[in-house]
Amino acid sequence: MIRLIGLQPTYMPGQTIEFEYRVANIDRGSIVAVECSVCWVTEGKGTEDLGVHFFQRLAGDSLAAIDWSIAQKIACPLPISPVSYEGKLLKISWCVRVRFFLGDGTELMAQQPFYLGMLTREV
Amino acid sequence: MSGWWFIGSLGEALFFAIVFLIGVFLSAILISWQLMSQSTQPLKVGYGFWLFLGVCLSFAVLGIVGFWYRVLKVVTSDEHREVIGKRGIIPEPLSGSHPMKKPTPVPSIPDVRRFTDSPGARLAYRLPSQIPENGALVALGIFAMAWSAMIAVFVVMAADAYLRSSVPWQLVFLLIPGIYVAIRSARLFFRSFIRTLGIGSTTVEIEDLPLIPGREYRLEVVQYGRLVIKKIAVRLECQEESTYHFGTDLRTERQTVFSQEIASHGRDRIDWGYPLRLECSFCVPEDAMHSFQSKHNAIHWKIVVDGEANRWPSYSRSFPVVVYPSSRSSQAIVAS
Repeated sequence: MIRLIGLQPTYMPGQTIEFEYRVANIDRGSIVAVECSVCWVTEGKGTEDLGVHFFQRLAGDSLAAIDWSIAQKIACPLPISPVSYEGKLLKISWCVRVRFFLGDGTELMAQQPFYLGMLTREV
Repeated sequence: MSGWWFIGSLGEALFFAIVFLIGVFLSAILISWQLMSQSTQPLKVGYGFWLFLGVCLSFAVLGIVGFWYRVLKVVTSDEHREVIGKRGIIPEPLSGSHPMKKPTPVPSIPDVRRFTDSPGARLAYRLPSQIPENGALVALGIFAMAWSAMIAVFVVMAADAYLRSSVPWQLVFLLIPGIYVAIRSARLFFRSFIRTLGIGSTTVEIEDLPLIPGREYRLEVVQYGRLVIKKIAVRLECQEESTYHFGTDLRTERQTVFSQEIASHGRDRIDWGYPLRLECSFCVPEDAMHSFQSKHNAIHWKIVVDGEANRWPSYSRSFPVVVYPSSRSSQAIVAS
């Protein structure tokens, strides 16, 4: 589960996004790695592009030190571009994404979209 | 991740691994036979040796790049691969809250320096032009020259044979369509060249770059040449561009999402030494999207000059500009 602290769906460029995530109903020992990222993706007619603004991978000792009974909090200042955009051929969407890699090869992914900037349409 | 996806990925990785091994194996055999054992010498050290070695090494490079690309696609997430691509190394586990610094002050926006490296005569910068006809003209010129040179060689061969009293009919029959293509391509090239010379060049100078939405900028358009202009119009345009795979083709689609006329001029005569000068000012809309560039998608802003002239076909010339994000975002850029 991912929760954006403050529950605001829109952030201004340069503002700091704070979010927390937790995992439930999973054997904590089976978690091999956790990846957390703040990224933008393009959608639409063109091939999808991905831009990663923030990336954190936890594995090995750093993963073992985590207490999963409490939510993991992350704060990250957002860039000034690209802002969220909804055009005719392409759309730029921002999201917080967390991936859990389990020992049996299973991959769990959760993401929470948000808007960067006030822009939601072409021009 | 279905079974077919797994088998497909495994198959691709195995294929590239085998290609790599073949490349390395053949390179090793070639080098060891050739350089270490003089008695065998399968190829003399010359063009043949280097060609064969080049092919072997290209197999090895193709194999290793393809193999690791497939493997990384399977074992890493999309975000992880993107980070590896940016940093060039596999990132270590990080504990801080800001493990990855911003790579550039203005991410995903084209570098403004390539638009500001040419100073203007009256205003700050002269914008680089983007005239697709020029590329076509150069390509056509190269084709016409190469084709004509090839045909000329065959004509000399045919003439030589004729002088020795043996007419090479097969060559003559091949030369007839060849000469026709040479004449047509040369004619097309010179017509395009005369059109480019006659209409003359267009220059655009701008007060400042990058453009910030909501601010006003002065612009000067100068049209050179020797012609009678029926109408010339200057527009500010925003265009979305998307590149995608369609079967085995790579296609690019463009759509204009904003177009605003910022100046126009009616009938006028232009002569050598007396160009037409148009001065105007314009403003990018306050809520406009900034310029954007990623691998397959882009948002371009540009100044477009459209002209109609007597006895010449209509023309359109583009001058790309860079638009930064507005208001508070721009203050952040200046501060950085």
